[in-house]
Amino acid sequence: MDTTRLYDPHGTKLAAYRRAIIRRVLVTTLALAILSLYIMPLVYALVTSLKTPEQVSEPRAPIVPSERVTYDYQGDTYDVYNVPTEDGMQEWALVDPGRRCSGFIDINNPHAGLIEWEGNWRGLEPVRELSFYWSNYPDAWNRIDFPRLLGNTLQYAFITMIGTLVSSSLAAYGFARFNFPFKNVLFFIMISTILLPPAVTLVPTYAFFVKSLGWGGTWWPVIVPHLFGNAYNIFLLRQYFLTIPRELEEAAYIDGANPLQTFVRVILPQSVPVLTAVALFHFFFAWNDFFAPLIYLAGNRAENPISVGLSEFRSFYQINVPLILTAAIISMLVPLMIFFLAQRYFIQGIVVTGVDK
Amino acid sequence: MSTKLHELSRSHAQRRALKRMGGRERRDALWGLFFITPWIMGFLAFYLMPMVSSLGFSLFDFTLSAPEDARFIGLDNWQRMLFDDPNTWHSMKVSLGFLAISLPTMLIFGLLLAILLNAKHLVGRNLFRTLFYAPTMVPLIAAILIWESVLNPSTGWVNRLISLSGFEATGINGLRWLDDPSLVYFAYTFISLWGIGNAILINLAGLQNIPTELYEAAAIDGAGWIRQLRKITLPMMSPIIFYNLVLGLVLQLQYFIVPWVLTEGTGYPQGSTSFFMVYFYKQAFTFQNMGYGATLAWLMFVVTLIITLVLFASARFWVFYGGGRED
Amino acid sequence: MRHKIRMTRFVVLSLLLVLTSFGTGSVQDVSARDRVQIRWFVGLGTGTEAEQIAAQEAVVSDFNASQDEIELILEVIPFDQAYDVLATQIAADNAPDIVGPMGIQGRADFPGVWMDLDPLIQETNYDLSDFDPALLDFYYLEGEGQLGIPFAVFPSFILYNKDLFDEGDIPYLPSNYNEPYIDWEGNERPWDMSTLREVAMVLTVDANGNDATMAAFDPDNILQFGFGNWAGPHNDLRARDTIFGAGSLVDGEGNAVIPPHWVEAEQWFHQAMWEDFFYPNLIYSQSELLGAGDTNWFGTGNLGMWHTHMWYMGWGTANLDADWEIAPMPSHNGVVTANLHADTFGIMKSTDNPEAAFTVLTYLLGEGANDLTQVYGGMPARISLQDGYFERFIEVQQAAYPDVEWAEKNWHLVTEGLSYPDVPNHQEGLPRSAESRARYARYAEEFASDPDFDVEAELEKLRLDLQAIYDTAD
Repeated sequence: MDTTRLYDPHGTKLAAYRRAIIRRVLVTTLALAILSLYIMPLVYALVTSLKTPEQVSEPRAPIVPSERVTYDYQGDTYDVYNVPTEDGMQEWALVDPGRRCSGFIDINNPHAGLIEWEGNWRGLEPVRELSFYWSNYPDAWNRIDFPRLLGNTLQYAFITMIGTLVSSSLAAYGFARFNFPFKNVLFFIMISTILLPPAVTLVPTYAFFVKSLGWGGTWWPVIVPHLFGNAYNIFLLRQYFLTIPRELEEAAYIDGANPLQTFVRVILPQSVPVLTAVALFHFFFAWNDFFAPLIYLAGNRAENPISVGLSEFRSFYQINVPLILTAAIISMLVPLMIFFLAQRYFIQGIVVTGVDK
Repeated sequence: MSTKLHELSRSHAQRRALKRMGGRERRDALWGLFFITPWIMGFLAFYLMPMVSSLGFSLFDFTLSAPEDARFIGLDNWQRMLFDDPNTWHSMKVSLGFLAISLPTMLIFGLLLAILLNAKHLVGRNLFRTLFYAPTMVPLIAAILIWESVLNPSTGWVNRLISLSGFEATGINGLRWLDDPSLVYFAYTFISLWGIGNAILINLAGLQNIPTELYEAAAIDGAGWIRQLRKITLPMMSPIIFYNLVLGLVLQLQYFIVPWVLTEGTGYPQGSTSFFMVYFYKQAFTFQNMGYGATLAWLMFVVTLIITLVLFASARFWVFYGGGRED
Repeated sequence: MRHKIRMTRFVVLSLLLVLTSFGTGSVQDVSARDRVQIRWFVGLGTGTEAEQIAAQEAVVSDFNASQDEIELILEVIPFDQAYDVLATQIAADNAPDIVGPMGIQGRADFPGVWMDLDPLIQETNYDLSDFDPALLDFYYLEGEGQLGIPFAVFPSFILYNKDLFDEGDIPYLPSNYNEPYIDWEGNERPWDMSTLREVAMVLTVDANGNDATMAAFDPDNILQFGFGNWAGPHNDLRARDTIFGAGSLVDGEGNAVIPPHWVEAEQWFHQAMWEDFFYPNLIYSQSELLGAGDTNWFGTGNLGMWHTHMWYMGWGTANLDADWEIAPMPSHNGVVTANLHADTFGIMKSTDNPEAAFTVLTYLLGEGANDLTQVYGGMPARISLQDGYFERFIEVQQAAYPDVEWAEKNWHLVTEGLSYPDVPNHQEGLPRSAESRARYARYAEEFASDPDFDVEAELEKLRLDLQAIYDTAD
């Protein structure tokens, strides 16, 4: 302590250091608190993926995966319950259930024979022990062809990601920086393409792709429209480009660059975070895109993406909830990894900014 | 922009400059058109015809499974929708009511979370960001299964958690999130909040574009966190907030999948979940009345367009573009 | 100017690029073989699960290998999307050729799109003698013709939890049709709805061990219910009321009607929910006691008797840790009615190749039927295939769920249920089927959540609303 004082006679550095530590603790604790609530449903999914369907549907089951303790008595297997008695809680096996009075066996003293207990056994708490059911993972993996489905999805997501990035950023730059006739009208027409619910244009769109172009059973109707940009991305990129100061581009023009070169050399490097954002959320959109691949790839199961593959877990009559959730978790691993790696582009100050203060 | 009188009074050099300007304007316009060409091609190829056809559908009695029996009925669908069908306005009210709850919640939550995830004091930032984004990646089919279970009145984790605080939320008389008309919008708002990852992502991208010097200067001036938020973050983020506002508006008005899967479009409980798009989908696909469905969809289009135009008009008062105003 | 030229060149180049990529898309289609393509659409019923798809793909490749005229293509769409996708395909003039398996409701939801098979049956001398004529009639629609040939049938019956009967010292249900029920006092009583009600009340138990017949019974703390229908509390009144006799919500002239015995049935069910308490109301049906919103009440072990269909067997009791048995359907006013579900394949009117489609149809009903009925879980409608059916079924179930004595159950009651089908069927089409169903689903929701629901008045309101919906049909 004294040595610190020696170097920092007024204690300001130490104070600043302390303040930083306190801030770190506060901010991180706050984030942890919010996260623990926010992520709860996902934790539920993880926990459920380690359960059997029985464990999910069992009433009053504990949150953690667990199995009922049973007891073998005279060749039969019985459930063990926590039974309140005069000697406190006892672990007894229910042998002869009745509505008001049931017969139990004390599992620690089976030779005492059948014990009559007054009360309704349905109100008793079963004895449970932890039991993780890992086989949902291999089961889910083997049920559908994950490698092929993931491969198809990756291909779709990457191709359209590149396509939409190129075309959307071009269009966004056009709307952000240039004046041309009917610009505002065109801009609103563009916005209006997302105001109309897509379901209402499904029939003519489907007819066009499948009947006019003969693209049924292929990826073309799903991929090609994305190569021309879409309003969501164009609008977002335009908003972002508008925040970039013009001085940078003017400097490039003076150097003799044309607008396309300026766009590539000046605007794109300035926009790495937003381009990453667009790339990522297009990627995840494509990853979970379900209806378009479903309807256009009908009849060509080998080409299905993972989203359609997951629907094969659902049977007409019943749902194996743990298995579906397991499959969903498996399908999330690739995008999670990509996100984790990609977000290093969200670091403040990576680009030079030249805003006048 | 300039009158003839002005032009006449210009000097030769000036006139030449203007001519050059004119050339530059033309070039500017051509470059602008060049940049938006891909989108225009896409629009003409994939959007225009279906949009026009769907508007055409609204003038027909058109049953999906009997396209050959489609019959032109003029504005009958429009009249029915606007004047005779009580469901139109009921479901419009449901959608607007939900919008009023969910949109502000999502905007505020999305921005605050992004600021938190951008804080330089946050330890393990990358992991936090990934985990907050993770729910957005959950396939919808699984997400709805998860929420159905988590919100279950007797076994769901939400009620179990609330019960820990002493309030008896589970059981027959507990909080029935998806069955009680007064709770169902909150439940749906939770579900929407859970998929807020994209908004966080966009906000994060926007935050990167705010020069750190601004905060440093403000800190030297003694501005606290709230003041920095008000004076720097919010104005600098306004174009991105505006984007999230418009997009949120469109998506929340088209809110459909979650109630559709949870209730199969019945509007349960007591019609409180018959959102406008649910009603549209029911008419257009379940009942196969595509003619009437298209009419409903175009009404939603008009309503959304009006609100969007109002938002764009309001933008000039509060949205600040670092690159100067365009148009 | 230079800029402009380069720009145009760029645009032209990118256009070319796009156009060439379009071109490669159609190459595959050009190379289509000269076989007639027949598209088989699966999704309006069962058949969309991974293993079922694999089995169907096997049938498809067997069929394609068996001849060189037709190429059969399988299109599987999950149930939740299948109606919308099929409707879209029809609207876009891209309808499939064969659709199925689908139930009566699936067929009825697409009125007017099915081809009358009669001319093809005549033309090819297709042998129908192996089918029950009553079942064939199921698919005969006045004015539209023979819209299907029966493929798989799912009779209904009562399933009961023997452990719950044991616990309350309640005698088991009869094991044969036309057999009386011997009650706890040794009295012989007809196995009818009023006997079922009494048994159900004794099977309904609260937390103190009192049953629903006792004065001290606590309806707020029920732990075990007496009776339920597979369709749940708030789904389908036609499904639940048919136990009182077959009926229809539309009469011969297209008017909305509520059959008098269904009015009686609705009052019986409302009393069962709100006064006798043996039938779960909406809140109880969603409690963890009955599977927390899942509709498989019987599988929780907390329901005594369950009206269900053959498709339930196997998976339905997989998690049930209790012994169970099959019982006959009870009678009402001396008449037994066992709701019937039946699956078929339909050929669409719009097909360009009706003969080829019919060839595929007969293959699915013939060579393919054995494998397909096993994966679909149905009983073959073809009489000659029914014989070995239960042996194979028991074998499969025994392997899947070894704790149950599958061979010991009263399977004969399932087959005998076929003799009491509901005609008209409870899933038969109504004018504007989907819209009418949505209306009575709303009725049923209020029914199951409101103890003071005035059944008669609400049924009259329902009738008037249905009439209004019917009137908008052409």
